[in-house]
Amino acid sequence: MTNETVLQVNDLTVQFGGVVACDNLSLEVHQGELFALIGPNGAGKTTLVNAVTGIYEPKPGASVKFRGRNGEMTDLLAYRPHQIARMGVARTFQNLGVFDAQTVLDNMMLGRFMHEKTNIFHYGLFSSVAVKKELAARRVCQSIVELLDLQDVRDELVSELPYGVQKRVELGRVLAMEPHLLMLDEPMAGMNAEEKQEMVRYVYRIMDEFKTSVFMIEHDMGIIMAIAERIMVLEFGREIATGVAEDIQNNPAVIDAYLGAEH
Amino acid sequence: MTSVTETATPASRQILAKRTPTWMRALPFLVAIASPVILDKISWNPFGGWKLLVGFLVLVGIGWFAWSNAEHDPDDPRLSLKLWHRADQRALAAVTCFVLMAIPFILSTDWEPPMDFPWNSWFRIVNYIILFALGAGAFNLLVGYTGQLSMAHAAFLMIGTMVGAQVGLIWEQSFWLCLPVAALAGAVLGVFFGIPALRLRGLYLMLATIGVHFIILLVWKEYIVHQFGFSGMRFTTPNLPSWLHWIPGINPEDGEFLINSQFRWFWVNLGITTVGLLFIVNVVRSREGRAFAAVRDRDISATLLGINVPRSKLVSFALSSALVSVSGCMLSYYNRARSEDSFHLELVLDYGIIIVVGGFMGIQGAIFGSIFFFALPMYFEWMREELPIISDIDFFSRYAGEIDLAIRGILVVVVLVWRPDGLAGLWQAMKKRALLRMQAPRRGVVQ
Amino acid sequence: MDILASTFFDWGVNLQLLVSGLALGAIYAVVALGFVLVEKSTAVLNLAVGEFLMLGSYFGVAFFMERKTNIFIGTLVITLVMALFGLAIHYGIMRPMVGQGFFAIVLATIGIATVIRAVVQMWFGPLEKGNLTALPTGTIEVAGTSIRWVDIIILLVVLGSVGAFLVFYARTRTGLHMRAVASNIEAAAGVGIDPDRAYAITWAMAIGIAGLGGVMLGHFTPSVNPALAAIGLRAFPAAAIGGFTSVGGSIIGGLIVGVIEQLAGGHFGTKWREPVAFGILILVLIFKPTGLFGQKDLERV
Ligand SMILES: Nc1ncnc2c1ncn2[C@@H]1O[C@H](COP(=O)(O)OP(=O)(O)O)[C@@H](O)[C@H]1O
Ligand SMILES: [Mg+2]
Repeated sequence: MTNETVLQVNDLTVQFGGVVACDNLSLEVHQGELFALIGPNGAGKTTLVNAVTGIYEPKPGASVKFRGRNGEMTDLLAYRPHQIARMGVARTFQNLGVFDAQTVLDNMMLGRFMHEKTNIFHYGLFSSVAVKKELAARRVCQSIVELLDLQDVRDELVSELPYGVQKRVELGRVLAMEPHLLMLDEPMAGMNAEEKQEMVRYVYRIMDEFKTSVFMIEHDMGIIMAIAERIMVLEFGREIATGVAEDIQNNPAVIDAYLGAEH
Repeated sequence: MTSVTETATPASRQILAKRTPTWMRALPFLVAIASPVILDKISWNPFGGWKLLVGFLVLVGIGWFAWSNAEHDPDDPRLSLKLWHRADQRALAAVTCFVLMAIPFILSTDWEPPMDFPWNSWFRIVNYIILFALGAGAFNLLVGYTGQLSMAHAAFLMIGTMVGAQVGLIWEQSFWLCLPVAALAGAVLGVFFGIPALRLRGLYLMLATIGVHFIILLVWKEYIVHQFGFSGMRFTTPNLPSWLHWIPGINPEDGEFLINSQFRWFWVNLGITTVGLLFIVNVVRSREGRAFAAVRDRDISATLLGINVPRSKLVSFALSSALVSVSGCMLSYYNRARSEDSFHLELVLDYGIIIVVGGFMGIQGAIFGSIFFFALPMYFEWMREELPIISDIDFFSRYAGEIDLAIRGILVVVVLVWRPDGLAGLWQAMKKRALLRMQAPRRGVVQ
Repeated sequence: MDILASTFFDWGVNLQLLVSGLALGAIYAVVALGFVLVEKSTAVLNLAVGEFLMLGSYFGVAFFMERKTNIFIGTLVITLVMALFGLAIHYGIMRPMVGQGFFAIVLATIGIATVIRAVVQMWFGPLEKGNLTALPTGTIEVAGTSIRWVDIIILLVVLGSVGAFLVFYARTRTGLHMRAVASNIEAAAGVGIDPDRAYAITWAMAIGIAGLGGVMLGHFTPSVNPALAAIGLRAFPAAAIGGFTSVGGSIIGGLIVGVIEQLAGGHFGTKWREPVAFGILILVLIFKPTGLFGQKDLERV
């Protein structure tokens, strides 16, 4: 693993009226690592991801730098969300961002949106160019479907699938984007231990196969401690600690926050 | 993503389709090639002369195209990209084609059906159904697929009509030039009037587009009064360009071939509507169409997939408006006359009824909806006039229009309450049931 | 549009237009209130409001023109009958359609509108009737111009009854339930409010008020005819400028649009009425996408 930075956030503050959801946060995600963000509910984790992906606007003075595949650092704050996505930042949503009314395959094909660009007339007339693009996209999606064991439900409507499978579909969709940095917002929330295990396996396979860096928000301390290379802990929008698993586990402030949150 | 290994198709999917025997696929060619001889034998030659030859060469060409595109391997992924890839879909498409081809010939015969079925006025209705299906399909692209509740539909019909009048009547150019110009004008203005959609949603967008309707209506009234006076527009009869006179079935009189009968309009309408609807279907089932649906369902998710949401909305507006404006131009030429108040806001609601009753989420819906909208009143009229008991009741004939209106309103509500997915949903459910029933015994044997 | 040669600076004309604009605006306010009430609590856009107003006017014809009923009794009966229609719509159509898309439900209300239009024409015939005359006719001299009594009475009646409604909405228990269901149905159901009942009452009130507005409309226009239903569409800008979710805003929006329309129509010709009203609407929506008094929905990611 190299120590090259993929994502560098500096002095990020997001405010909603009086609520400071993210208070002057700075962090770095390295190439090929699994970086975890933890913290109690309402700590501002989702807000941080939203600010990085361009949905919320942070206060002036912040900087969010991203190193794309081509190795150049760009400041994401100057771009709109779809442009950020096209640079290779993909994310999942805490409360599922799948398209219920479409099939599993179509959801994944949406992930290929930015890779199969052609003039609309090619699609309207379904010319050989369009056929070629569609086939290429299908091939990629088919391999992801198989990677995530979704073969049996490939042509079913997403709304008819159980929650855990929907989560997997969402993961498959961001995979189809071939992201350089993958931001997962509570990918294992509401899953049982077995499903969590499976999800971890998928995340590992993704990191192996696509050399993707992963930024993961998760509640389950046990799993986080086991899989994350570095961890950052938030509380009330402020950073309490950042470091490797053992440091975090023994950090008195973290213990305080978690005991305080759970009792 | 080259690192992903391509796995072979699992065995479970390998029994998808059986290959059609070669002789069976060759049959159409043989028939096509042999048909001049056959027709000659039964001494019926509808086209005459060398055109017969051209016609059958074209037929052979189509057959060859179908042949070369037919799947040779049931596991070929291209199979799933075909519009009609299951056997039942193909059979249905073939039957539909056949029926469509047969309709004008049947309707133009002098045959008097029993009980005075209004054969001749049905031809007009069929033509309207076809033209409205195009407009409704385009409307549905915007409202159903992209979720942009626009009421500026009639506005674009007006734009198409104005372009048709300006290009065709004032500049005296060919009708065939009007259509692309109308499409272009529709697309450009569609983008312009789609701009409110970037900021407004749902109800508010609906209101803003009603505003657009009234603004265009004002322009329309000014235009028609200044250019044509109070008597309104009278459209000329389109003329098929002479370089197309080789088409079989075309017998120019005095070197001209005017589109002046229901029979001839039928083919023009059918051709353009088919092209337009197929274009929409193709867009909807590929990249752009998936993006439209994504924008409709969750625009934030869509953004984060790299979809430029404003652009997608505007593309949808442009495409829909272009086709609506073409259909407006066609409707006006078909209708022959347009006056100051030919386009009400109610017209938009009529199109809305067509797509919602027909089925919101498909092009089929536009077709079923148009049939519902036009054929039903005709049918009622016939019942009122011909059915023994009903025709005796004075009330029905006195309030004919109102009763039709009331029944239509009631049917709209009934369909919406009883079958939210519209007539197309009903049709699909019926088809599914029938298919299951047909497959059931065979499956029993295999297992 | 020669402004100098027109009546643009004739203050007598302007005052006349202003008062009749206020009366028209009051009727718009009633229609807009019908939209807003239903849209706010049941999230249904009732496009049949205009038809219900027209129906109210025709009931007025039946009661006041053909039977010479007392104006108070007649209006009360009309309002109650219309409220019953509202209940019927809720239980017969809207409740079974819960969960369907916005546009489908809008079109169901258009289906209702079609039926009303047809029934009215079957009942009263296609010919237009004269206007209602149960309210005092005649004019009053103000500042050198004559102003119709009817305009003033309409303004007062509408403002009075809408005010009464607002008090009901703000002060009574049922009104509280209606507001609770409108703002958050799950929370309301959680504290034991029956949303279904609140919806039913909302529909009854909205349609009942439309009936009252219809009687007023029948007095305002020169003739009662099926085309009166178009008032439903014309009141759209009123509801939207006020913000579709604000009951008070709809009344202010109604008055604004009524006055602007009368002024535009009076000075430049009636064909300018809709374009001006909707042009203003578009302007408002460009700067405030949810109207002047509407609130923005919070969107969480
Ligand atoms: N769009 C918004 N508007 C107002 N407040 C918000 C918004 N999004 C988040 N917040 C507030 O920001 C804080 C952090 O929320 P969030 O980032 O969702 O927390 P979590 O760590 O659970 O993901 C919360 O107090 C929440 O109420
Ligand atoms: Mg969160």
